[in-house]
Amino acid sequence: MSDTLISLEDVGLTLASPAGDVEILRGIGLEVVAGEQVGIVGPSGSGKSSLLMVLGGLERATSGRVTVLGEELTALDEDALARLRRDRMGVVFQSFHLIPTMTAIENVATPLELAGRADAFDRASSLLKEVGLGHREGHYPAQLSGGEQQRVALARALAPRPQLLLADEPTGNLDGRTGDAVVELLFGLAAEEEATLVMVTHAPALAERCGRVLSMADGGVVSDERATWEAAE
Amino acid sequence: MSVADAGEAASGQGGMLRFAWAVALRELRGGLAGFRIFLLCLALGVAGIAAVGSITAAIQAGLAAEGRTILGGDASITLTYRLASDEERAWMDAAGDVSEVVDLRSMVGTTGAESERALAQVKGVDGAYPLYGEVQLGDGGALDEAVAERDGHWGLVAEGVLVDRLGLKPGDKLRLGTGTFEYRGRLTQEPDAAAGGMALGPRVLVATEGLRASGLLGPGTLFESLYRLRTAPATDLDALEVSFGDAFPEAGARWLDRANAAPGIARFVERLGAFLVLVGLAALVVGGVGVGAAVRGYLTRKVPTIAALRTLGAPAGTVFAAYLMQVGLIAALGVLIGLAVGGGGVALAGPWIAERLPVPAAFGVYPTALIIAGIYGMLTAALFALWPLSWLREVRPAALFRGEDGRDTLPRPGMLAVLAGTTIGFAALVAALSGAPKIALWVLLGIGAALALLRAVGFLVARGAARLARGPLGRRRPMLRLALGAIGAPGTGTVDVVMALGLGLGVLAAIGQVDANMQRFIKAELPAGAPAFFLVDIQPHQLDPVRAALDETEGVGRVDTAPMLRGVITELEGVPAAEAEIDPEAAWVLRGDRGVTYAAEPPDGAVLTAGEWWPADYDGPPLVSFIDEEGRQLGLEPGDSITVSVLGRPITATVANLRVVDWRGLGINFIMILSPNALAGAPHTHIATVYAEAAAEAPVLRMLGQEYLNVTAVRVREQIERVSGALGKLGAATRWGALAVLLTGLAVLIGAAGAAAERQVREAAVLKVLGAERRSILGSFALRTALLGAIAGFVALLWGSLAAWGVTRFVLDGDFALAPGAALAVVAGGAFLNLLAGLVFAARPLRLRPAGVLRMQEG
Repeated sequence: MSDTLISLEDVGLTLASPAGDVEILRGIGLEVVAGEQVGIVGPSGSGKSSLLMVLGGLERATSGRVTVLGEELTALDEDALARLRRDRMGVVFQSFHLIPTMTAIENVATPLELAGRADAFDRASSLLKEVGLGHREGHYPAQLSGGEQQRVALARALAPRPQLLLADEPTGNLDGRTGDAVVELLFGLAAEEEATLVMVTHAPALAERCGRVLSMADGGVVSDERATWEAAE
Repeated sequence: MSVADAGEAASGQGGMLRFAWAVALRELRGGLAGFRIFLLCLALGVAGIAAVGSITAAIQAGLAAEGRTILGGDASITLTYRLASDEERAWMDAAGDVSEVVDLRSMVGTTGAESERALAQVKGVDGAYPLYGEVQLGDGGALDEAVAERDGHWGLVAEGVLVDRLGLKPGDKLRLGTGTFEYRGRLTQEPDAAAGGMALGPRVLVATEGLRASGLLGPGTLFESLYRLRTAPATDLDALEVSFGDAFPEAGARWLDRANAAPGIARFVERLGAFLVLVGLAALVVGGVGVGAAVRGYLTRKVPTIAALRTLGAPAGTVFAAYLMQVGLIAALGVLIGLAVGGGGVALAGPWIAERLPVPAAFGVYPTALIIAGIYGMLTAALFALWPLSWLREVRPAALFRGEDGRDTLPRPGMLAVLAGTTIGFAALVAALSGAPKIALWVLLGIGAALALLRAVGFLVARGAARLARGPLGRRRPMLRLALGAIGAPGTGTVDVVMALGLGLGVLAAIGQVDANMQRFIKAELPAGAPAFFLVDIQPHQLDPVRAALDETEGVGRVDTAPMLRGVITELEGVPAAEAEIDPEAAWVLRGDRGVTYAAEPPDGAVLTAGEWWPADYDGPPLVSFIDEEGRQLGLEPGDSITVSVLGRPITATVANLRVVDWRGLGINFIMILSPNALAGAPHTHIATVYAEAAAEAPVLRMLGQEYLNVTAVRVREQIERVSGALGKLGAATRWGALAVLLTGLAVLIGAAGAAAERQVREAAVLKVLGAERRSILGSFALRTALLGAIAGFVALLWGSLAAWGVTRFVLDGDFALAPGAALAVVAGGAFLNLLAGLVFAARPLRLRPAGVLRMQEG
């Protein structure tokens, strides 16, 4: 199907640990089409975040096929994966992962600069304004609150106008009100940029906002539900 | 103090200390992983100082143990220019067994058509020589037989250098003075070799009787006679010395005994040891930067523990004590490792080192040297660790929970006073132990100023880099911005790297520049205006013919001559020289005999700084013109009197003037010039300086060899090469010391790079998420380390050159010129070293997959 953005076939992930190999993901099959908003839920250790890492090419599946944005990820080397993310993906983490030695605007501009975009700072500036941090451009991460840091991370993830936005518990480190504000921004901006969203979350209410909810347990997908209005449609 | 505080202080101080100790031990159970660089830095510096101290002590012990062998007797009496009188000899014979040795410089030449001559240090010995130790000849023969008269020729043995230069075979005939000697063997061991003064040529041994027959002991020739005494074991040598002085107050003799057999060497070893300890201290201070950084890093990691302790009610002082104890224990371990490596290493390598030393050494473990090195180590650790530790007394628990750390907290006044006291104690100890307190304090001041400068520069570099990263330069160059950002961001170790690398490279730069300038003085500047030869021992009747012959030799320019005697200063203003209070810098003037001349006119180029020159026809009481600097150091000014013993005859002269002399010209110059009437009638020879082209040197030597056998020609070029070679060896010793400083600096760099490694791992992971390729990430890491290294190198060059300028200008009294090659090497070396340290830690961030790193972060 031409608008399939993500296609996983029997994907497994086994990681070595001092206590022996640990099977993190097993037999995952998944298709996500462009424009979908997918929430992944499940208890701790169910493999949600690992699945997201595999989708972002941040972790290499140990079995199966992972095709994202038309590219077979297992066939790409580290640098090719980096280029793919740079041009077509955005990732938001629970712990923000801003570069501590760069200011807010520099953090947002970095992926654009890596792509050689001349308007990197203009776009970074307008994105920061959009997330309500126009007045905080010159601040370092350490000088920002958690909610502000996550908003910078969101702006950074959306800066290259990604086709695929991956979010790993984006509100996990934030209080309720701040989290809500970030969520509003996340959904609003993803829709505005027409990005496909895959989000890992512990919060059922947040997952509910996605059109599709994937439940995971023990490294496998146990249910895949689409919202009723979408199903009816 | 509040009532509650008082109660706590009274009841709980001991308990709190026990608690602190328990916490310290519990914290250390986790191992020493965070303290490897701390230990390495401290151990390297302490090992260096312990090694230098142990080697110095071993040589001093060796000199003391071998004292009588080196001296050639239990006591030695040196007379200048003459042999002992019958009365003196009778006194000596009564004191014990006596060996008479005569020491002089002379030319030794082969016979035949193609005669070759070389300057040699000739020693005439009697049958009793050596009283102690053993002379060894290459063929294993006995010295007595080798130097005895056989078939009308006296025998001669010579050091290998001379044998090889003249291509000698046993049986070859050699001319020495007016006599012909037979070469009989290679001298492989001379027990009292170290006792002699500065040898201008290889050693030759002959029988004194043979020497006498060759006319080299005639009146006016320059020689020393040394009388070695073998006394009964219980003899009080100090009393014996006094008794000789009382019996022969005008002898002008120099007395040495086995306790102080080679004062020159002992002094040299002590000075060199003190200097190398200063270099070692520089290494320790560089290590101190690493210690400080390690303590800060450790405390930052321990913030959760410290916060918990404070929340649970531990007073700030107790927490401080707990971490002070930990740091103290680890510092003690580092010091012990350093002492084991430095002291133990020297003791183990003793036999190997001893073989390579020109002086005797008794290797072993020298506790004093180790204790001193240990104290230096602990003081340095205290100096650099107390500042970061003092933050523990200031910080509030809430700040800890916010994740604050204390890198920029100014300690409270009490702690500042402790730090100041430690610094002063450290400086006082160094000054007291160095033997040259003024130089030691200058060096410490230099190191302190350099540290302050480097700290300021490190701070400015961090600020500047942060600003540049945000400016247009950083735009669209994310990797450059990342590099600049990493240099500029707080807590990235920029200041530590600039300080450690800057200090290490600065010491290297200073030593390199001083060395280059010294070599330049000797090789380039001096010989340009320097004479080709000094001719010594020209008899009065030979003066005119020698001058005429020189004038006729092609390529010979100016020839200066002066009458030459030797004299010992015995009194200053009526006070015996040994008791006079003088500046120690001028002690050498009184130590032995000095050249003395007389003149009616001031020498060319001399500038009088006090007093006046005497009239050309002056005929009053003896007057003397003294060199300005040494004269002032001896406390002399016009009108004062000095007594000089010339040929055993005391001459008391009034200082008429002081004059300045430029020694670098190497022309004829004397410490003392007497008015002509003072030396009227004294038998003397003449000295000449011959200015000649290099091509004229061989003809001059040939002419002298054919007609003036007694005249000794010292080739300036040859001596400059000898001095240059000796300086080169000194330079090498110093460079090894500087390398130790740099090695410690490298340890600090690796520590800083290691501390930055975790951050780099996170950065690399995030950058990969954002789409950066590994090549760009590596480029950025390399750029930041090389950039920082180059900046540190540049600052090192600045302060190192400034220090070198100071040493060259004020200690060596010369003009300073920057050696560009060495300078460039310092900057490039800085960049390279820091790059190297950075790259050691770059592989991991590049290799790790982002998911693993980020998963750890997500917790």
